[in-house]
Amino acid sequence: MLPLKGKVALITGSSRGIGNAIARAFARAGADVVINYRKEGGSSQEQAGQLCEEIEAMGRRSFMVQADIAGKEPVKKLFTETEEKFGRLDYLVLNAAKAPFKPLEKLFERELRQLVETNYIGNIFCIQAALPLLEKTSGKIVFISSLGSRFYNPAYPLGSMKAAMESVVRDCSESLREKKISVNAVCGGIVKTDSFKVLRQFWENIDALPEELFVEPDEIADVALFLCSPGSRGITGQTIVVDKGLSNAICRLPGK
Amino acid sequence: MGQHIITEEKVFGELKKAIIETLRTDEGKIRPETSLIKDLGAESLDFLDINYRLEQAFGIKMGRHFVLEHIEEMFGEGTAIDENGQLTDKAVEVLKIRFGDNNTDFRPGMDMDEVPAQITAQSMVRGVMDILDSLLEKCPKCGNSAWQSEDSVRIKCGSCGEAAAFSNGDDLIKEWLTKIQAEKKLF
Repeated sequence: MLPLKGKVALITGSSRGIGNAIARAFARAGADVVINYRKEGGSSQEQAGQLCEEIEAMGRRSFMVQADIAGKEPVKKLFTETEEKFGRLDYLVLNAAKAPFKPLEKLFERELRQLVETNYIGNIFCIQAALPLLEKTSGKIVFISSLGSRFYNPAYPLGSMKAAMESVVRDCSESLREKKISVNAVCGGIVKTDSFKVLRQFWENIDALPEELFVEPDEIADVALFLCSPGSRGITGQTIVVDKGLSNAICRLPGK
Repeated sequence: MGQHIITEEKVFGELKKAIIETLRTDEGKIRPETSLIKDLGAESLDFLDINYRLEQAFGIKMGRHFVLEHIEEMFGEGTAIDENGQLTDKAVEVLKIRFGDNNTDFRPGMDMDEVPAQITAQSMVRGVMDILDSLLEKCPKCGNSAWQSEDSVRIKCGSCGEAAAFSNGDDLIKEWLTKIQAEKKLF
């Protein structure tokens, strides 16, 4: 049983971490997968290549595109190549993110602009470029958010962009309703990805949080997959929190 | 200040371990002059991971921000990186003082994105040594001068057992910049 057989998913920022787990989950469910990474010639290109090979070994088609979503031209290339190679797009998962780790008030002008260019404008570029393809398939868009959208995180200016994007998700779910494109988001708790390695440098004692409150990348991926499956047909414009209960547990001692 | 308990060789050894674990690379590829980005394909997230491993090994706090960021924080935006994202003359002067003239290729007008490729294993070892060298002469708890290390990575007081405390990397860069500014009046 491969529910997504014959479908095509594109996951932005999928060489590592949560994006990587989402790409695998979609491939396991039968979809062909477009992998995207930003930086040419570095470790993420290598990981993207390995991921493509693994997905092909599962019997799916996969290819990778280097593109920085902050630029309109690279985004155009991302979707043009998807259409050329796979001829369709069913699921767009907006996972890519990039941000400095320091308090908002300390960001330089160029850092502020980059923050908005990648994490807000870049995502909207992707939505715009994907529309002609998604219209044809009554496709789905899933944005990967984080608890930073609603709670303070030390040195995490990305949170404000996540909040903005959750609002974009609400807006687009209505404005794209006529095109039969559904838009939802998954809001992840604390996941031990490469970004976590950074976060823990700014968040003293985060390692002391009980293990059961950390989210596995697969747990986010499964909900992203659910939001692209028929079972979620009644959900639109929503952000589903996947945090192992962290946001409820935070006001009391864990385990009490 | 300064310490002779943990050697540069030991720091290089721990750095190699951290690089191997983070980048899954071969030990033979890591030499003092190796650029982590150019030669080993490291990305910005990898640096933070490597730093974290060094912090765990030595009980220190590495700088969270690079010299250029500290310059702009202390002397104003635009002082190190111009509106086109390129290094200013003054930034290059500071970088050359810090990293030496011979081993680096900093030049005015260089794109700021090219700067991290100049970071070598040797410059990271130096960063760790600077922090370790901030060890106070006497133990702040018992007042004795009896620092020692059993495993050559963690220093503690041989008299009262207190773990050594060091200045954090960012503070040391700021102190260094303050000193350079006092001497050279660049900004």
